[in-house]
Amino acid sequence: MTSVPQIQVFSVEGKADSELPLPDVFRAPIRSDIVQTVHAGMAKNKRQSYAVSVKAGHQTSAESWGTGRAVARIPRVSGGGTHRAGQAAFGNMCRSGRMFAPTKVWRRWHVKINLNQKRFATASAIAASASQPLVLSRGHRISSTPSIPLVVASSALPDLAKTRAAVALLKAVGAYSDVVKVTKSRKLRAGKGKLRGRRHRQRRGPLVIYDPATDGKLLSKAFRNIPGVETCPVTALNLLQLAPGGHLGRFVIWSSDAFKALDSIYGTSTSPSSTKKDYSLPSAQVTNPDISRLINSSEIQSVLRAVKGGAKSKRAGGQKKNPLTNRQVMLRLNPYAKGYAAAKLGQAKYKEGKPERADASFHNVLKSA
Amino acid sequence: MSSATYPAPADLLWEITRNNTSFLVKRKTAGGIKLSRDPLNLRNVHSRKHSGAVNDQAIGVVPSDKGGISLLTKKKSGATITHSYKPSKTSRKSYLHIVNSTAKKGYRPDLRGDAVARASALIRSYRKPVKQTPEAQPRGAKAKKNAAAAAAADL
Repeated sequence: MTSVPQIQVFSVEGKADSELPLPDVFRAPIRSDIVQTVHAGMAKNKRQSYAVSVKAGHQTSAESWGTGRAVARIPRVSGGGTHRAGQAAFGNMCRSGRMFAPTKVWRRWHVKINLNQKRFATASAIAASASQPLVLSRGHRISSTPSIPLVVASSALPDLAKTRAAVALLKAVGAYSDVVKVTKSRKLRAGKGKLRGRRHRQRRGPLVIYDPATDGKLLSKAFRNIPGVETCPVTALNLLQLAPGGHLGRFVIWSSDAFKALDSIYGTSTSPSSTKKDYSLPSAQVTNPDISRLINSSEIQSVLRAVKGGAKSKRAGGQKKNPLTNRQVMLRLNPYAKGYAAAKLGQAKYKEGKPERADASFHNVLKSA
Repeated sequence: MSSATYPAPADLLWEITRNNTSFLVKRKTAGGIKLSRDPLNLRNVHSRKHSGAVNDQAIGVVPSDKGGISLLTKKKSGATITHSYKPSKTSRKSYLHIVNSTAKKGYRPDLRGDAVARASALIRSYRKPVKQTPEAQPRGAKAKKNAAAAAAADL
C-alpha cells in the first residue's frame, strides 16, 4: 500500500481519458457498526412529533361506584337517560377510555450524534462505496460499469442541464442498468403511507456527487427526474444517502472535481482537513487487516512450533477399496478372476440348464443298501 | 469492471455481508435456511466458502443460451470473466473444460467437485426424456375398482 492507486476518469462519452490519485478518505476503516448506529440516529432526526389529544378519554366526569353494587370498581359515567350512563370510563381497557400510556409530544424524537462519529461514519461509507463486493452486495447493478469508484470528468458537467443528456451520461458509463433496476422495482406501498405522500416505494439508484463550486447546480436539475438517482454536493455529504438503511456500499458516481476535493475536505493521512476544524481522518487499528495473510506470513510461521503429531492427511492403512467394484483390486487379491471372467465361467451354469436326471440303476444302488 | 482501490480483505467483507446482502435469501422453513442468489455461488448456500462476492477467487456455473453452460470466474480486480461452452455430446468434456481452467490451475481447487456437480446438474436438466414413461398399470384395490367401473360402463 505504499503507492497510491490511480483511478481512471471517464469522459461524458464514457471514454477513459485521464487518471486521478485515490483520495486518502478511501483508506478509512470500514466500520459497519459505527455506520449503523450513526444512521439509526440520523434517520430519527427528521421526525415530527405526534401524540393523541391530552383530553382523549377523559372528557367525562366518571366516578367509581365503589364496592357493594356487584360491578367492577372502575370509574363509571354518572347520570341517566342515555346509554353512556353507567358505562366504564377512563381505563385503557374501557371502550372510549384513554389509551395506555398516552403518547406525548415531548417524546425524545431526536438523537444527538457526536460530530466525530458522524464524520467517521461518512468517511467509512465513502471508503465502502469504493469496494466492488460491497456495492454488489447492496444490490447495485454494476456489471457494465468500467470501474469502481466511478469518476466522470467535470469538464462537461457545468453544461449538463437536460435530463436527456444526464441519461446519456449514465448509459455511457454503464450506470443505466441500475436505473432500470429502480424503475422495475417501483411498487405501491403497503399501509397508510400511501395516503401520506409516500405512495410508492422503490430501490435506490446511483448517487451523483459533484462539486458545487465548479460543476454548478444545473446538473442536479438534470438528474432529479431519473428514478432512484440522487445528487449531492461533495461539501455536504449525507450518510443517509451514502449508506441508505445503514447498509454500506452505495453506488457513487463522482465528478472529477468532487473526487479531487475529497482530500481537502476530509484531509489526508498526513494533513488535517482544511474545511473541518481540527479534523483528521480515522486510521485503521491494524495496518494489514488480512488475518489469513498475517497468519501465513513467514514472520509468524517462523516462530511457531511445529504441529505436534504432524498432519494426519493420510489414512493409516491406505484407503480400503471394494474389490467387487474395483477390478484392479480384485485382480490383486484373486489373479484367477481374470481367466474366470474371460471364460465366462460365472455364467456357464445358467446356459447348461438343469442337470440330467440320474438313471434308474443309480437309484437301485442307492436304495439297496 | 475493475477496482483499483485498497481492497478490503475477504474476512471483513464477509462480516459485513453475512447478515445482510442483496444475494441473501432467508427462509423460515428448513430450520431457517440461508441461501444465496449470487451467480458466483456454486451451491447457492450463503456461506463464507461459497460466497462469490466476498472471496477473491470464485467460480460460477450458469446456463448460457442455446443449451450450453457458462463458466464464470473472478479476476483479481473483481471483474467476472465468462467462458461459454456449447452443448457437447459428452458431458465429460464440459467437466474437463471446467476443471482444467480452474482447479487444475490452482484456482479454487476446493470448489472442483461443486463446479462439476453443478455443471452436471445443468446438463442433465437439458436432456430430454429418452422414452415415454409407460402407462401405469394399477394393481390391487385400484385395479378392482377400475374393472368394476369398466363392467358398469358395459352394462
